[in-house]
Amino acid sequence: MIAEETLVNELKDKTSQAKAFEVLVNTYKERLYWHIRRIVLNHNDADDVLQNTFIKVYRNIDGFKGDSKLYSWMYRIATNESLTFLKQQSKKQGISGEELKNNIIENLQADVYFEGDAIQLKLQKALATLPEKQKLVFNMKYYQEMKYDEIAEILETSVGGLKASYHLAVKKIEAYLKAD
Amino acid sequence: MKESHKNKFKTPEGYFESFNERLMKKISKEDSMIPQNDGFKMPYGYFNGLDKKILENLPAKGSKVILLQSYKPYYYTAAAIAALFLVIFTSNWNSDKALQFEDLNNTEIAQYFENNEFGLTSYEIAEAVDLNESEIVNINDMSVEEATLMDYLEENIDEYDEINLDYNENL
Repeated sequence: MIAEETLVNELKDKTSQAKAFEVLVNTYKERLYWHIRRIVLNHNDADDVLQNTFIKVYRNIDGFKGDSKLYSWMYRIATNESLTFLKQQSKKQGISGEELKNNIIENLQADVYFEGDAIQLKLQKALATLPEKQKLVFNMKYYQEMKYDEIAEILETSVGGLKASYHLAVKKIEAYLKAD
Repeated sequence: MKESHKNKFKTPEGYFESFNERLMKKISKEDSMIPQNDGFKMPYGYFNGLDKKILENLPAKGSKVILLQSYKPYYYTAAAIAALFLVIFTSNWNSDKALQFEDLNNTEIAQYFENNEFGLTSYEIAEAVDLNESEIVNINDMSVEEATLMDYLEENIDEYDEINLDYNENL
């Protein structure tokens, strides 16, 4: 894999930008897709948000100063794009964020790109009850298997706080799944 | 105990150092009732054509790339022009009195923001606006008549839902 610093320099240089951007997309597309998908849930929406994320990265790479790692910066953009997308959807449809989440989960049963059984559907309902940050931390830790320090850099928070959020999320989800 | 030098097998770097952590993670997941797979899938071969699709949608070469920060001057220009128009059309031309911001009708200001969709997300606005340059207004100092407040909520009740749409941590 190409070193991050080299990649950033190539992305900022007009002569090597196109090739470097292709490398960037190929390196991060899957990880970012799954991160976005677990926030917006629907494949087509995830596809739109993923493309917007990369376009935003392309447009703003000159402003990337390297204070954080490139992938954390991209994850932050992906997270913000996903949450903004959901807000825009609820505004467009004239419903609250809560109602929108419930509608998306109801539609999952008919989604051809969701093959979850009853317990996996219940898991999504459980996740919808969590505060946004707990939900993000849970998905990043449990399903994306990211390290606490990586998550801390992306969400700009402390490792201690993240551990608490994660354990709280696990407890709440387990309690929800146990309930009838 | 050191492994015999006759052993020609190798392990990935750091394999044993991270073994305990990986094992404990697996055990804790197997004990959990939370499913290990969340059931999402995607169209077959989706990632294969993705890079091409994204590259096609990029701003064309040579086209001006507009940075987030550069929205700021546009904001000021648009607001200044709009304020000027509002002042011209809503005031008496022959008046000697110098026009002030207070002369603008609140409804007209609200109407302007209502009709002019800037298309910026809160994230983009946050990127563009430097908090250090802003004055913090103490809202406690502002007194609002209860009747005015009720009238406002009555008229704008549809937008009231948005107030609940936050991502605050409620532990």
